[in-house]
Amino acid sequence: MHLVADVLDEELLDKTGNRAGRVDGIVLEVRDGKPPRITHVEVSPITLLARLNRRLAERYARWDRRLGKGRGVPFRIPWGQLEQTGKAWRFDTDAEDTPIRALEDWLRVKIVERIPGG
Amino acid sequence: MKKIFQIALGIVTSVGGFLEIGSITTAAQAGASFGYQLVWSIVLGTVCIAFLVEMSGRFAAVSKHTIPDAMRERFGINFYVVPLFILLGVSLLVLGAELGGVAAALEMATEIALPVWAIPVALLSWGLLWRASFSVIENGVSILGLVTIAFAVGAVRLHPDYGALLHGVVPTLPRRDASHYWFVAVSVLGASISPYLYYFYSSGAIEEKWDETYLAANRMIAAIGMSFGGFLSVAVLVLAAILFHPHNIDVDKYQQLPDLLTPILGRAGFWLVIASLGIACLGATLEISLALAYLIAQGLGWNWGEDLEPRDDARFSLTYTLIVVAAMLFVLIGLDPLKLTEISMALTAASLPVGVFPFLILMNDKKYLQTHTNGYLGNAVVLVISLISAVLAIVSIPLEIVGS
Repeated sequence: MHLVADVLDEELLDKTGNRAGRVDGIVLEVRDGKPPRITHVEVSPITLLARLNRRLAERYARWDRRLGKGRGVPFRIPWGQLEQTGKAWRFDTDAEDTPIRALEDWLRVKIVERIPGG
Repeated sequence: MKKIFQIALGIVTSVGGFLEIGSITTAAQAGASFGYQLVWSIVLGTVCIAFLVEMSGRFAAVSKHTIPDAMRERFGINFYVVPLFILLGVSLLVLGAELGGVAAALEMATEIALPVWAIPVALLSWGLLWRASFSVIENGVSILGLVTIAFAVGAVRLHPDYGALLHGVVPTLPRRDASHYWFVAVSVLGASISPYLYYFYSSGAIEEKWDETYLAANRMIAAIGMSFGGFLSVAVLVLAAILFHPHNIDVDKYQQLPDLLTPILGRAGFWLVIASLGIACLGATLEISLALAYLIAQGLGWNWGEDLEPRDDARFSLTYTLIVVAAMLFVLIGLDPLKLTEISMALTAASLPVGVFPFLILMNDKKYLQTHTNGYLGNAVVLVISLISAVLAIVSIPLEIVGS
């Protein structure tokens, strides 16, 4: 498996089969005398922005931190929870129980549901 | 039977949705300034967009991916942001021109100033996006767009010189006003080969759950639908070539557009141009807004889908809302839709390789298309036409600015 070609930026599906973002980053553990090992993948605008511009990522993280406890850091999915289906990766949790859709939920409650027909 | 109906519907919507402010005004300018000499630019543009649309439908049907989806996966976010920002910037200008086109039609119909219509037109477009299903947007507005066939009726009634028209299919060097000739040519190419069109098409194929059984239908829709659409652009050029060119009338105001049909069809001609412009531009407004929201949502892995309720894809819905608002500002501040069209079509041509090259790489990737990758002909046609368009645009835009 090629990490960049087959994992990074691929689509994530939650256990209900719904879209749950993309693999924005891969966390590797460097071990003495052994090859590195993948421990987690990250799904978060913070990780995505950090790949483009670190300052932007820090700014976004500061804003995100205001949204609640545990926010302001990228969400991580343990590698062992992931299973490849086609080109996408599926993990064994409902995305609604994770912060992956936090911004979506915030926008829905604060804006969309207040607009007629939303 | 169902397939035949789908093919027929696909062709009808491709024809009805082909013309928009870019193709109408650039074809009219080409005919008015250079007679039949620039027919080749419409032919080249139509051939290229037919190939691109076929590829886009094939890609979605076989890989079950949209183009933005696959571009993020295949090239990564650091590359993806380049076409994303360029396409966003250029397409926002095009969207401003389309929204302005609807407002211009309403201004000519009511004599109420164009900027006044900016907010009502934006609200109408947004309301349709917010509430209507994908098929209403894709089929409904495009079927209404069949009113644009009036241009073909008008052109035939003027009995054009078909021999001279055929001569125009072969590219020739300008006989006068070279920089303007090439600028109009690239504007025509930019209007025909709009990236939003084939990006939108791949998302539409996923929205309608296409699979490999749709490949033949896709080929017919792209070939027949786009060809007939191209004929409508040629019809506009013919009208301008016969009615404007002999009198040295250039098209530099959108208020001149009704003069394409009024000498032939009288008052009905005026209303047919108004209806054609208004409906065609409204259709394009909806498609571009959706195409840009698809581009962002798919690249970032958000929930998206025009058939979902806005509450189920809040980020996607709010994205097209902001896009419509941004385009509305161009009209509200009083920018002339014709000038905006000229600039945005030339910039579209200049930026073609940015969207087309990565797409061609995807179309040759067996991971996505297995045995359905591109042949040499498709690759060559799209590569050559988009390169020529971009080079011509990069050379002619500064010359046109200096010249004017």
